[in-house]
Amino acid sequence: MVAALLEAHSIDPSSLIDDQTLVAETLAGRHEAFGTLVERYDRAVYHLAYRTLRDQEEARDAAQEAFFKAYRSLRTFKPGAKFSTWIFAIVYHACCDRLARRKRYSNEELPERADTAAGPESEAIASDEARRLRAAIAQLPEKYRTVITLYHLQGRQYDEIAQVLGVPMGTVKTHLFRAKEQLRRILNEQTAGARP
Amino acid sequence: MKYYDNDDELERALFALDLEEPPADLRHTILASTIYHVPVAATVRPWEPWLYGGLCAALVWLLIAVIRGAVAPAMTAAASYGDELAAFFSQPTTLLWFAVGAAATVWISQVNLTVLPGYQRAARR
Repeated sequence: MVAALLEAHSIDPSSLIDDQTLVAETLAGRHEAFGTLVERYDRAVYHLAYRTLRDQEEARDAAQEAFFKAYRSLRTFKPGAKFSTWIFAIVYHACCDRLARRKRYSNEELPERADTAAGPESEAIASDEARRLRAAIAQLPEKYRTVITLYHLQGRQYDEIAQVLGVPMGTVKTHLFRAKEQLRRILNEQTAGARP
Repeated sequence: MKYYDNDDELERALFALDLEEPPADLRHTILASTIYHVPVAATVRPWEPWLYGGLCAALVWLLIAVIRGAVAPAMTAAASYGDELAAFFSQPTTLLWFAVGAAATVWISQVNLTVLPGYQRAARR
């Protein structure tokens, strides 16, 4: 009956299962359940990695590394926790490691090694304003980029962002406020510069 | 180009931004490295760890023996056993028996000891 209803409304049954059940099923040996988790979060995880690292190849590697680590240490996942917070924290730390390595091997400041290209396909078709906004976000320091990405682009709550970054909630709010200030300044300077 | 006078306008623009599309094969590579990952088969044979373990143990034992100064008596004992062995093999009688044994081995290896089925044995007769 339920299956027939789902089929009639073309609903994927796996989309109804919550993350914790999928984790439990993976631990019980049904490894396909982890595939559903990958389907749910690969885009968001890649996006966070790309915003933090500003390099498509590195973002891809970081996303893959994060899921690999999550899969290997799934037993350490606390039953009451949110899978999204956990996987975001893993990918964020993987990105921090990569940024630290990048800094060690070059004399440049962290945010300077930027992939200033517009990004994957979606940016090619995005409007000029959206492209300008993305480019402005890319100019922000790493901590501000990450907060903007998690809050505005992925719709995460303050407390979840605080857990991902491992900072107090007040710091998240401060970062967000400063990020928006800087962003507005960058965008308005561009606008002022473009006017005759 | 837009001029952002206040936070609300910027917030609206930020919330309207789409997530970038990840590379097409990202999901495939993640799944390949996690749930479809086949563990690499062991490249050593089961007896190899024992062999290497034994060799390591012998080396450690030798090292301890060297440190304790017990090598000289061991070498003397080994040399005396070697001399006795050489004397044994240099006797003509020993060599003769070795030659007889080798010849018998060669002869036996040449003999056809295959047992034929009954009907073939009857046909031979």
